[in-house]
Amino acid sequence: MDWLEQELREALRRQEPSPDFLERPRRAHVLPMRRWMAAAAVVLAAIGAGGAMREYQGHVAKERVLLAVRIAGGKMNRIQAQVRGVAQ
Amino acid sequence: MKRAGLLACFCAALCAQQFKFDLDQLASKASDVVDLSLNGSTLQFAAKFLDSKDPDEAKVKKLIEGLQGIYIKSFEFKKGGGYAESDVQSVRAQLRAPEWSRIVGVKSSDDGENAEVYVRNEASKITGVAILCAAPKELTVVNIVGPVDLDSLAELGGHFGVPKLQNAPKK
Amino acid sequence: MTGFADATGTGCDFDALVREHQAMVFSVALHFLRDRALAEEVAQEVFLSLHRNLGAIQSASHARHWLRKVAVQRAIDEGRRRKRQAVVSLSELAEPAAGDPQGDPMLGETLRRLVGTLPEAPRMVMILRYQEDLDPSDIAELMNMPVSTVKSHLQRSLALLRQKLARRGLGEI
Repeated sequence: MDWLEQELREALRRQEPSPDFLERPRRAHVLPMRRWMAAAAVVLAAIGAGGAMREYQGHVAKERVLLAVRIAGGKMNRIQAQVRGVAQ
Repeated sequence: MKRAGLLACFCAALCAQQFKFDLDQLASKASDVVDLSLNGSTLQFAAKFLDSKDPDEAKVKKLIEGLQGIYIKSFEFKKGGGYAESDVQSVRAQLRAPEWSRIVGVKSSDDGENAEVYVRNEASKITGVAILCAAPKELTVVNIVGPVDLDSLAELGGHFGVPKLQNAPKK
Repeated sequence: MTGFADATGTGCDFDALVREHQAMVFSVALHFLRDRALAEEVAQEVFLSLHRNLGAIQSASHARHWLRKVAVQRAIDEGRRRKRQAVVSLSELAEPAAGDPQGDPMLGETLRRLVGTLPEAPRMVMILRYQEDLDPSDIAELMNMPVSTVKSHLQRSLALLRQKLARRGLGEI
């Protein structure tokens, strides 16, 4: 290995993530999804797929609730952890 | 009569959220926005599609039982200064109303995030929760309407889909 | 929820796998995406996938290989998604948390930035070669490309880096 390759090995050394990286809430990419979901809703309504439409709407509602709980819960969890850290 | 009915519905929608967020002007400056308005009907409807056999979804189902709404606005910015202190104050001022009590306020030295939790009490019962998190590049406001179990909420947030690590990772 | 010790009965301790491989997964994403927060999100998604697929992991080396492969795929996917959304200028790229303890810290940062400007495929090839110390044949298998293509990416990328460093007055005296 020449000098450049040695320097690259050094420059691209592994680094550690933050200690709590696993616990941070992830952001689902809700906004870009909306367009195709809206389009799908129109199509389903047009073909009169009543039951399928309800099913689809239910899953959309479920994903939004899960995202909301993920965000709110993640914030609460972090706050609790900080309070515990201060108390110790 | 019809107009009064519509007006009543409109008021009900506004009143469902327990305080105004007034932060829409931040959306144009934000790199990422989450805007969720889930009223009681939506929560009840969604609950039917939560899988009771999945441990996490079952816990969520239990958590949202009896709730009248979850409202979240969260803005992420590429650089600091995306929002003004007055934006945060406009929310905080509403949470100084007598029915609200601040139960937690913490500031993180790691990332400079200020986090506050308020509960709304009516007839000695919790009828709502507000969470306000202001970090240099992020502002998040949450209003949960109804009797929410904060410990269950925090527990779900700690391990949603991923088991919580018991010990800090070794270097 | 308590620590997740060997729920599958295969000897796979999720916590231990995370501790052992988190730096590898995170660093693949970090060096590829040049954004610390985004790299942590990608790492989180990779370990979430691991958790869902824990039953399929057969051994320690299988876990390492699986994690590397998923980390590469997710980093590339995220890079493509971001490219569709916005162009990030070099001045906005996140600085790595730790400086180089040895060698020239400026050169290290310059090299990371230059690697970050390479096109998608050669960029990942370089990361797998110099971060993970993989042979071209291993890289070829991970990235599903011919070995000759991997070698060509390495050769051209090194030549390009030498050229760019020389223009900046950096490099071997």
